[in-house]
Amino acid sequence: MVSISSPVSPPQKLTFTGKCRLTCLYGAVQVFGFTITQEQPSYDLFSPQTHCALTIEAVTYETLEKSKKEMRISARAMLRAHRVPRDARIKLMKSFAPLCSLVLLDGLDTSVTRFILNHPEFSHIFRVKRQRGSCFTPEDAALASAGIGKRDPESGLLLSESSVSAIEELIQACREEDDGCPVILVCGPKSIGKSTFNRYLINLLLNHLPCVEYLECDLGQTEFTPPGCVSLINVSEPCLGPPFTHQRMPRKMVYYGEVSCDQDTERYIDTVKYVFNSYKKEVPLVINTMGWVKGVGLLLLIDIIRLLAPSHIVQISVEDFKDMPRFTPEYINLAAGLHTKGKLQGKCKSMDVSGMEDWKQYEGESNFQTSTIGHKLLCIQPKFPGAGNAGEARVHSSILRDVAMLGYLGQLQPLETRSVLPLHSLIPYQVPFNAVALRVIHTDVAPTHIMYSVNASWVGLCRILDEVRCQTDGPVLLTQTPVCDCLGFGIIRGVDMERMLYHILTPVPPENLRLVNCLLLGNITIPNCVFTNQQGTEGEIPYVTSEYNYDISGAGKLKMKKHLKRREHSRS
Amino acid sequence: MAGSGARAEPGGRACGKRPPRRSVVAWRSKAEWDQVMVGLYCGDCRLQRDALDRVSGWRSRYGHRMPLAVDCTADLIHCKILDTSGNMTSHELVLSYGLALVRFVNLITERKQKIVNIPLRRLAKEMNIPIWIVNLRHDLTHGKLPQLVACQKGCDVVLEWLRRTYWSRQLGNSLARECEEEQNEEVETAATETEVDSDSEEAQNPQPPGYQKHKELHEKVRELLVSYKNQQFGVLQELQSLRKARKAWCNSSSEVEWILAQIKDLLQESREVVAEALLDDGSLIPTVEQLETLNIKCEENKQLLDFKIPQTFYYFWQPLLKGLQSRNFTQTLLEKMFADLKQCSESSELRPQYLINWVAEILTANTKAKTRRKKRRPSQSQINKRKLFHHRVSLQWIKLIDECLEAPCWATPHLLQRILSDMEPPLPSDAQENLLYLCSIYTQEGGSLSSPGSSSDSSGQPIYTTESLQWKARQESQTKGHRVERRETVLGGVGEEEDNGEEEAEEEEMEAEPMPFEELLHVDNMMVIAEKRAALHGSIWQISADGVQWKDFPLGKLPGQTDDPDSLLVDSYSMMSMLDQPVTRGDGRNSPSTNNPELNGAVMEGLLWTQNDLHRIKSGLQLF
Repeated sequence: MVSISSPVSPPQKLTFTGKCRLTCLYGAVQVFGFTITQEQPSYDLFSPQTHCALTIEAVTYETLEKSKKEMRISARAMLRAHRVPRDARIKLMKSFAPLCSLVLLDGLDTSVTRFILNHPEFSHIFRVKRQRGSCFTPEDAALASAGIGKRDPESGLLLSESSVSAIEELIQACREEDDGCPVILVCGPKSIGKSTFNRYLINLLLNHLPCVEYLECDLGQTEFTPPGCVSLINVSEPCLGPPFTHQRMPRKMVYYGEVSCDQDTERYIDTVKYVFNSYKKEVPLVINTMGWVKGVGLLLLIDIIRLLAPSHIVQISVEDFKDMPRFTPEYINLAAGLHTKGKLQGKCKSMDVSGMEDWKQYEGESNFQTSTIGHKLLCIQPKFPGAGNAGEARVHSSILRDVAMLGYLGQLQPLETRSVLPLHSLIPYQVPFNAVALRVIHTDVAPTHIMYSVNASWVGLCRILDEVRCQTDGPVLLTQTPVCDCLGFGIIRGVDMERMLYHILTPVPPENLRLVNCLLLGNITIPNCVFTNQQGTEGEIPYVTSEYNYDISGAGKLKMKKHLKRREHSRS
Repeated sequence: MAGSGARAEPGGRACGKRPPRRSVVAWRSKAEWDQVMVGLYCGDCRLQRDALDRVSGWRSRYGHRMPLAVDCTADLIHCKILDTSGNMTSHELVLSYGLALVRFVNLITERKQKIVNIPLRRLAKEMNIPIWIVNLRHDLTHGKLPQLVACQKGCDVVLEWLRRTYWSRQLGNSLARECEEEQNEEVETAATETEVDSDSEEAQNPQPPGYQKHKELHEKVRELLVSYKNQQFGVLQELQSLRKARKAWCNSSSEVEWILAQIKDLLQESREVVAEALLDDGSLIPTVEQLETLNIKCEENKQLLDFKIPQTFYYFWQPLLKGLQSRNFTQTLLEKMFADLKQCSESSELRPQYLINWVAEILTANTKAKTRRKKRRPSQSQINKRKLFHHRVSLQWIKLIDECLEAPCWATPHLLQRILSDMEPPLPSDAQENLLYLCSIYTQEGGSLSSPGSSSDSSGQPIYTTESLQWKARQESQTKGHRVERRETVLGGVGEEEDNGEEEAEEEEMEAEPMPFEELLHVDNMMVIAEKRAALHGSIWQISADGVQWKDFPLGKLPGQTDDPDSLLVDSYSMMSMLDQPVTRGDGRNSPSTNNPELNGAVMEGLLWTQNDLHRIKSGLQLF
């Protein structure tokens, strides 16, 4: 195993691409807001090209040792304890200075990343791009041996003044114990850096608190789960990488089955409400919301804000809120939502929503806490170029979803092995057709043809309270989509029509799997590369063809042209 | 908030050289695609409905990625079914048709739109969509609601457009690329060229001029065939010996090659026309005079029941057919032959006879080409020259079966058997048996179509009715259990033998590497599995049977599963509403045990089955 260790002292920084395992041998460093001191265990850092690069930053710390000599002795002891070779030790100690920190960077190779990198489409995501013109220094060589490469400091996290002050205020609020637990809702348009802000905020909070809770309401870009679900998760470990490196089991999760909620906003609200009910207000809560903040999306966001009644709203926006109105307490109080009314305007409902003639009072209105207390609004203007311009995002959102799903499926890999087992070679679970209820969420499928949609599909493994009982051997089809606990996801590896069994691949542990009695199939599909990369199988690979010609008219999907202009008058 | 820096490349669309590009589609196999295409366009409501049901499954798989053309076709077919059902008022129908048509025009032109809006008319013209369809759309959205007839006509025209532009060009067309034989290379490049500019080409021939063009093309092909015949007869005249001439015909001359090249050119414009011209009297179907010239006796070929074309005539045409062989053309030719056979009444004598024999010859030649390919030896070159085909082409078997059954005659069982035995992937053996069985019932007594009554009069023959078939089906399903077991035990061996040549090499490479490490893993694995098993004890969830070589089976396929496109049909299911007891629903529509009034009705009227009955039986076959 390769390891490098180097002394760093503030304000030294190392911004890098790649992955490595960091151990702080002496002193303290901060990575993406999270402080790592020498008492702490090693942390895995993932800094792919697809996301904002991580920065290892030396920070000042308080020392117990009094004299410089004592410091040197304890630093040397740590180096020895971690088996740093003698000559390296001597070299390091030469540059040792008071208040410097020593970190050890090891090469990192987890079964999950190995699985992801095994797909040609993603094999390069941790690869370091050499900057043109720069020469290869010994330092670069050392870093490369640990699997990382140095980047410009600008490719790391850039914080605007507004964000720094907002974050300070939030941390303050979370540390004040008598104030109860803050509920922080983060909103803003697509690609504006909500997720990055959330990760950074969580890491900073974890410096002071043992854990925080995180409510994921963004179906399209979920932080800890595969896409298409709303979840509540207890976070006690820092987020030192993008979502696909930290797929975790949430405390509560519901599979909504779409990457956008526009088709069924009521079920979305129900889903959020259901998941939010599990929040016990014992620790601070960070809420991530959808990037859909225009038109109906805005109205829905207002509903969500009313429903969740946050104590703080972090509104990230560019250009002085041209993209959405400021969510001041007054605004939220007065504005009409999609399913809720604002105060003082109960009668004039004509307002904005086009086609919402059947505007109705939301049934469970009593569940909406009337947020009379109001919230604190923190406005942030992001600093990085291209913020909020979804078209200029580094990576297409669907690719991020695919790699997140691969990250989830990577958990199927046995931990001990060095090479990657193809998915199709793994032993699946099996469950009889009539023992689990089945529902296709996003479209109607003729019941007799249901297996054509189920076979080789991505399913949410869920639990409904009703008992699934059935007289026939055939599948049990639910007539409506339940809002129920989802315990994880799987791939229907095959359907055995003779023995009436589903064969399912899933990393859900058996003790949870035995609770699963409902399979939900949504509009989230297995990444194409999972199908196309299958090798060593007999016969033709189902659902894969090299003969489909996309150049023929009508061969492609419906593409919405958003920027279509009319001849005479261009839309604004 | 987030960092900046150089924008990374999006997830890296594999930019390496890995042609051909593999895409993920909603159908399991080409057979499933074919089945849906045939179903949608067959004109039989029941089959159309089945195809629509399958498309609903595709829609679920594709989500937002569903191909527009499939979506539009399904919607329009759905309208047609609603129309034929007779349960809707014409106003309701106009509304349904209207939406489907509007969606078609808007969606199909969407991709061609640029940043600045291009008028629909122009786009439609570019895409060869009749302008009145665009006008119809305009009326539907902005004007007075059109009449039902206009909508119906629009629907038919659009469906035909979709068939021509999308369905028949998709998958089928690109198949030509698979033939690695050198001969096809030039054809192939030509094919891709026409593919590229086909839009503009099609744009030039709206309906009436199209007919004109068709006629011209036909004429051109006919002329070429005449010069071919002259060439061949010239050789005979020169050599003055049939035996020598046969030999000379096989070593085709440069003139023949040239004619062939020209026909191939025309092939790019329309396979159908070339096939039609070939089946004109005087070409593949000889005239009496031609037979005399070639010294072939009429009585001789009339009585020939061995499905062979008289040798001399065979060699006369062999170079041409050999040169034109391709996956697409051979398919078209066979289809045309069957279609032609359907038109034949028993009266004309030569035509059906020759059609049947040519079909048989072509199928046989194709099969033989397959077996020979593996053990190709240089010494055989002379023999090879005499064969009809160099290599085997893979045909759209399901479609051929359909065509074959569409043209019932005394020879149908024989031809069907040829197709079935050559088919890849093969139908399950019981399905094959049943199909042949039914087919022979239909055409029994050597009796031909002309005497439907004869079968009931005949003494020794048992009389088959649908009841007896249903009884048979029930019996079969009872013995099903046994068959499953048998299938499982044979499993290990079956797959390996069936590999087709192209994939063999690839597979060997793959299998070589992972073995040793897997052994090491085995022990660990067993532990983990045992733990999981214990944790699942008493649960509905189980670890799937070990002993299965999962690595041999891609996702979506299980040991013992056939490629039959109907193999995933469910025949019973129950619906469950939350907080409610599940209600058992009746068996699927396809079950033969349900009393289908139409089917029974047909039996009462007599034994002569209509085309629709045959369709229905075909669609029910998978359940035997």
